[in-house]
Formats: sequence, C-alpha cells, structure tokens
Amino acid sequence: MSQHDNEPVEVRIRIGGPAGFGIKAAGQTLARLFMHAGYETFDLTEYPSLIKGGHNNYLLRVSTEEIFSHVEPVDILVALDADTVRLHLGELTEGGAVIFDPEAVDIDEIEGVPDSACLIDVPLKQIVYDAGGVPIMRNTAALGAVLGHMGFPLEYLTDSITAQFAHKKPEIAEQNVACATAGYEYASEHGCAFPYEMAPRERRGGEERILVDGNEAAGAGALAAGIGLYCAYPMTPASSLLHFFAKHGETYDVVTKHTEDEIAAMNMVCGGAFGGTRSMCATSGGGFSLMVEALGMAGVSESAVVVGLFTRPGPATGMPTWTEQSDLRYAIHASQGEFPRVVLAPGDRDDAFHLTWQAFNLADQLQTPVILLGDSYLSDNRQSIPPFDTSRVEIDRGDLIAEGEVSEYRRYAVTDSGVSPRALPGVTGAEQIVNSYEHDEYGFGAQGEIAEVRIAQNDKRMRKLDLARTLVPPPAYFGPEEADLSILLFGTTKMPVREAMKWLERDGVSVRMMQLVTVWPFPAEEVSAFLGEAKRSAIIEGNHTGQLQGLVREQCLVDVDHTLHRYDGRPFSPEQVRAFIEEVCG
Amino acid sequence: MPAVKEYTTTNKPTWCPGCGNFGMWEALKRALSELEMEFADYSVVWGIGCHGNGADFLKTQGFHGLHGRALPVATALSLTRPDLKVIVEMGDGDGYGLGMGHFVHTVRRNVDITCIAHNNQIYGLTTGQASPTTEHGMRTVSTPSGVLEEPVNPIGLALAEGATFVARGFAGDIPHLTELYKEALRHEGFALVDVFQPCVTWNKLNTFSWFRERVYKLEESGHDTTDRTAAFDLSLTTFHDMTCTPEECRIPIGVFYREEDTPSYNAGVKASQTPGWRSAREPRDISDLLASFS
Ligand SMILES: Cc1ncc(C[n+]2csc(CCOP(=O)(O)OP(=O)(O)O)c2C)c(N)n1
Ligand code: SF4
Ligand SMILES: [Mg+2]
Repeated sequence: MSQHDNEPVEVRIRIGGPAGFGIKAAGQTLARLFMHAGYETFDLTEYPSLIKGGHNNYLLRVSTEEIFSHVEPVDILVALDADTVRLHLGELTEGGAVIFDPEAVDIDEIEGVPDSACLIDVPLKQIVYDAGGVPIMRNTAALGAVLGHMGFPLEYLTDSITAQFAHKKPEIAEQNVACATAGYEYASEHGCAFPYEMAPRERRGGEERILVDGNEAAGAGALAAGIGLYCAYPMTPASSLLHFFAKHGETYDVVTKHTEDEIAAMNMVCGGAFGGTRSMCATSGGGFSLMVEALGMAGVSESAVVVGLFTRPGPATGMPTWTEQSDLRYAIHASQGEFPRVVLAPGDRDDAFHLTWQAFNLADQLQTPVILLGDSYLSDNRQSIPPFDTSRVEIDRGDLIAEGEVSEYRRYAVTDSGVSPRALPGVTGAEQIVNSYEHDEYGFGAQGEIAEVRIAQNDKRMRKLDLARTLVPPPAYFGPEEADLSILLFGTTKMPVREAMKWLERDGVSVRMMQLVTVWPFPAEEVSAFLGEAKRSAIIEGNHTGQLQGLVREQCLVDVDHTLHRYDGRPFSPEQVRAFIEEVCG
Repeated sequence: MPAVKEYTTTNKPTWCPGCGNFGMWEALKRALSELEMEFADYSVVWGIGCHGNGADFLKTQGFHGLHGRALPVATALSLTRPDLKVIVEMGDGDGYGLGMGHFVHTVRRNVDITCIAHNNQIYGLTTGQASPTTEHGMRTVSTPSGVLEEPVNPIGLALAEGATFVARGFAGDIPHLTELYKEALRHEGFALVDVFQPCVTWNKLNTFSWFRERVYKLEESGHDTTDRTAAFDLSLTTFHDMTCTPEECRIPIGVFYREEDTPSYNAGVKASQTPGWRSAREPRDISDLLASFS
C-alpha cells in the first residue's frame, strides 16, 4: 500500500461480530461521516436471519473516486469476536490492520495471521467500563479506534454521536463520546503507521451526496409519484420499505398497512387502485407466491398496481438475508392465464428511484400491473450518491376520469390501443363492474363467456403490450461501442460489472455493457442488435439456470458465447467479474 | 333518489328459481333506496360464488374480486375513499372458508365496511360441497358420510373479535332484512349481517320452511343489543344437530350487538380522510425527505 499524489485513495473497513451488536448501525455511522467528509461510500451488510448470535458483518468501502459496488479486500478489520478474524483474515490486504479487544479475541490462538498484519489490541470492554457505558458502546470505541488508526479527525465521529443522541439523556452522548475518544487515542498510540493520507476533502465540484439503500430510493420514488396506499406483510428484504412508509406515511398522507398476509396486501392494492389511489405492495419470493392470484386479477381487471418483488435466494424460505437474481422468469410468468405486464429491474439506487415513479405512470397508462424486480443487494445496502433528480418526475395518470359525469361509458371499451377510459367509483354514469372474471365491455361477467367477447377482451388487453413497448424505459448502455466483450445483464449485476469495467479500462480491456432496464416486454430487437454487433458476448446473471440466457434464446433465437453465474447468496464481486472477463478475452 | 327498481342492471339474474339470493338482492335495493343512496355514494365488492354473480345484477360501480378476497379489496377502498360507503357481499365458503383470515382481521380492525354474508351453508356455485357453516352430520357430495367438523360460528367469531355491529338476517323475511341492512349501512365501522340464504338446489336441509319454523326476532324477545355477553350466549345456540325439532331449535335473527361510540379504523388514519387519488395530481415535494438522507 503506497500512495501517489493523483492516485485515488480507497480504504475498505469490515466490522464483524455476533448478531445483535448493532454492527450495521455502527457501520452506517462511519459511512455517513466519510460521506460528510467528502468521500464516496458503498456498504454491504451480511447477516444471518437471526436476531442474536450468528456472524454479522458490515463492509464499508470508502473512496475518493466514483465507485459502483463493494469489493473483496479489507484494509481494516474490526473484530468484535474471534470468528470475524477467522472468517475474514484471507481478505486482509498486505499491511492491513486488525482492531480487536484482547479480552474477546485471543489473537495468538488464531492460525494464519500474517506477520505483515497490523494488530491493534484496543481494550474495548475496559474503555466502555471506564466511561460508565453499556456493552453496545464497544462499537463506538471501535469506530474511534478506526479513525485513530487512520489519523482521521475525531470530531467527525463525536459530532455525529452528539447529533445521533441529541434527543436522549445527555449522559448517553457523553459516554459515547468518551468511548470514541479513548478508542481513538489508544489506536493512534498503539497502532502502526497508516499507509494513506486520509483527511476531510472537498468533493469534486462540491456536489451534495445522499446515503440511501435501494428500498429508501424506491420509497422516495413512490412518494414523489403520489403514492396513497402501501400494503405489505414483512418479508426480508422488502420489510424496510414497509418501515419507510410506516415512518413517512403520516407526513405524506400515505395509508400504510401491515396486512394479515400477502394475499391481503395484493388484494388491497387492487382495491386502492380501483378507487384511483396510487397503490403499491412489495415482498420477496414467498410473499409474491401468495400474491400471484391477485396479480392475475390485476391483469384481467385492468388494475393499475405496482408490485415490488425483491429477490432472496429461493425456493420457499430460502436464504432470507442473502441475494440472488433467480426470480426473473417468475416475475415475467407468475399467474395462470395470460395478460400484459411490465417488469422493470433497477440496477442501482438511482434506477430504483426513477423506475419506481415511472412504474406508477406505466401502471396508470397501461392499466395493468407493473413489477419492480429487485434483490437484497440493492434493498439492504447504502451508497453515497448525488441526490435524485426530482425535476425529472412527471405524473401521467393515463385515461383516468376521477370526478364528474360520463355518458355512454364502457369500462372495458375495445380500443385500438387496448386502453379503455377508466372512470373511478363516484363518477356518475359509470356504474359498471371491475371484474376478476372475464367480462364484456361493461365489465359484466355473464357475457364474458361468449367466445367473441372473450377474444375481443383478451386481444384488447394483450394489445397493451405493444403500447407498453413504446412507453417503457429503454435498455441502458455503458462502455465504448466497439469493445472486446459485450456483456448483457439485468438488475443489480450492473454495479459490480461497472466497477470491473472501470478497472479493465485502465488495463486496456474494453467492455460494453447492456443493462436491460425493462425485462418485460422483452426488448428483443435491441438485444438482437447488441449481440449481433458483439465481437464476443456474455451474460452475467445471479442464478443457476440461466434465466436471462433462456429468454435471449427464446426471444431472439440467438445465444451468447460465455456465461457467468452465481447463486451462493452473495452478489457478484467486481474481482470475480474482472477475472471472468480476462479469461474470456484471453 | 333512485327508486328500488333503478338499482338493477339490464342483466337478468341467473340464480336458480327460488334461490335465497333473490330476497337478499331485493332487500339491499330497498335499503339503498330508502337510505336515498345515489350511485356515486356507494360501491359494492363481491367474492366468488353464486352470491358473487349478483355483481351483474345490482347497479353500482363495483368490484368483483377473487374467491375469499372481497374484504381486503373493500378495506383498501374504504381507507382510500372516505366519500364512498363500501359494501361487501361474500359467501360462506368464500368469507368464512378461504377468506376466514381476512374476516377475523377486518372485524378486529373495525374498518368501515358493511359486510353481508350469503350464508347458504353450502358451496352453491361449485355444485354442493360442504361449506364451513354446513351443519355437523350433513351429507354432501364432498362429505358422503356426513360432515365431521363443527360449523363455524360467524356471529360468535365476530363478537369475540370485538365487532361493533353484529346481526343476522333471513332471506325469507325481506322487510326485516331491509331494516337490518339499513342499520348496518348507517353504522360507522365494521357491520356484519350474516344472512340465512337457502340454496334450494344443494342444501335440502336448511330450506325456507326449515328456517321459518325456527327463527324468531331478537327485537321482539327483549334482547339488549348493548349486552355483549348475552349476544355471545345467543350466538352459541345457533346450530343444533340436524334432527332437532322446531321447538328445540329456536334460532334468533336481528341485531345481536352494536356499539356506536367505538371509532372506526378509518378514523385513526389521517390519510384516509381524503380520497387517495388527490395525492397524485402533481409530483410530491420530497425535498425534506432527501435532506434527511444527507
Ligand atoms: C382460489 C379458488 N379456489 C376455488 C375456487 C372455486 N370456487 C368458486 S365458488 C366456490 C365456493 C362457493 O361457495 P360459497 O362461497 O359458499 O358461495 P355460494 O356459491 O354458496 O354463494 C369455489 C370453491 C375459486 N374460484 N378460487
Ligand atoms: S345453486 Fe343454490 S345458491 Fe346457487 S343459485 Fe342455485 S339455489 Fe342459489
Ligand atoms: Mg355458500
């Protein structure tokens, strides 16, 4: 580790310990203070589905340059237990530091600790005891030690502590400040030289930053779009979106309901949409299974609903707190029968914001369900990013009649576009049925079984898919048009691939990436063109069976040259992506 | 104010001649007319079953939902459209079987919904299987040796979950049922009207005459509708073994219980006080939220 003047500075910190120690909260304090100090941050929380016990860890990447994902190596390992050292020793960079409490970790007992490692034995427990604090304050002492080791001004931490505990009893803030200070001093005195110059800095252009995870971004997008109803049953990684609306719903006038189950959530969202309210629910795969019948109802009844499907590794309960991209086919196909739907796959936080408000417009314009397909990697982890460009937000409610009177109204009028005027209940002259049965133009079920009526209604609905193609967000492209390798992907794999592309560009390897933002209706023409122009092509997707590859074969009648899969619950790392690219570019 | 006959659509009812659904349909139209409800004032949500086919016959801008799921649809509509009276028509299989979870939770929430259960003690539409309220011992196509379970007690369940308006009607007494509907529609909060609705095709036990010989009116019996314990006791006397004589089985109809001063769930939700679509006329200002992320 050595630092040249213009070289970007980057430090990776991992905090690990037993679950229930507030590790994520401590890590986020660190992320926020580095963001305030002019750095870019990206975090990755790994935790088992337990409240207490089990190994939790939080990885924070801090950089002076634009970053797109987490990375594998660790420069500072904060070990609140011995497991953390054992599990993460291999990630430690040459000369990297291990901060530990000798009372909790017997470092001599642990095999393979490299000689180059900088061992900083901070008496965390003793520090907390001396400060008269409670055990959880060990985190604060450890954060102090991290900054002390880095030689980074302590005020950033103490200011954040003071702000964080402003509404609590004053001694809580005081004890935390004492712990932070003692940890800081100990590490500065007993540590080793830190290889980088880390100081608060002026951000390029002085731009602002916000620190958000994918669910906060989606929640912000929904609020901007005028959401009025959010219903959900808690399921990781979607639960924090329920908490988001529970917290902000009162301020922003959003009816927020933790329902008895996901069946109720999806049916409620249909009821909200029926009344004209912008309505959304979100869940993970298991909950989505329960929603599927009502999802089909939204299709046939032409209900404008937005559904978040945030993937965890499945099937069934699967791996609740881990990530995967195995619900692509599920999102596209779930439900009996056929109906048009739109599936959008945000690749990062900015996508999550913009695709969410757009999802509400698409749902209204098309009067059909729009699914946001995310995953734990996006939902759970925060990144410092420029504030969302809210000037882009528009509201388009489609052919909606909210008040007044209509005449010669037909809820399901057969039109060229497939979209029929939608008068809300309360509009005089619009007394008709919104129906889960097949129905005639007035929504009546009895006539829905007449063959010609069925065909006319089914054709009308499916025509909306053609309209959707003209409305949905197009694919996004990154990298030079002429490249050694063309990579096709969807969703959050965008992040590590962009990071790897950045590195490879420096090494003279050029990569072009096509991100499918809309995965349904499938942009077959664009994908065919992209692959047709490719020197070499690859698909990178986080699943076992190659769901995107299957879609490409089916929709474009072509295949790619190489594939990379991952399904161990972890997101792709840019290191893994880089190694893959180097291999296929041979 | 629309006349009774104006609450019908141009569709001809498809129910079997003599079905109890006719009486329930008529009573609801009368109640709506007598309460002077305009079409823009209410919305009806149906589940799936013979009862649900009523969606084609009653004039409303309504929603014909899934089997068992009318209540969640109605809950959302009620919580986002304070300008509408929301009515649910559900079946016994629909509401007390598949949708039992929603029933219990909607009751305890006291959402402002008038919930009408077409309790024919059978699965009508799917040709006569036992329903959750079919009497113990009754033989049906799905229980050739007789039902082994005890029937669900909708009145008792609703009371146990804190329902604020609980009533039972009989499709064979339209004037009485009309009055029950009117009281339920005037109630602010969750109002259950469980209605004995003879299925003349599949339920050969609980027929119109079977009920006529057994029902009596609570309002004529000196029952105190504010006495929850008494109401609960009465709910337990509903179902008897199939051989009981009219003298042994006295089945109460009318209002079991009501409380008027308990606030509805709707009243506790600030966002529920204005129609939700009004929030989506222009983009919301989220600058404060974004500031909190920085
Ligand atoms: C999920 C689901 N399962 C099964 C059915 C088939 N089904 C339609 S109506 C019905 C039962 C109807 O009984 P009830 O709710 O008592 O209504 P009734 O016909 O007696 O009015 C069933 C099982 C369905 N429509 N949906
Ligand atoms: S089957 Fe029974 S419930 Fe259904 S319409 Fe006929 S009589 Fe009525
Ligand atoms: Mg029935």
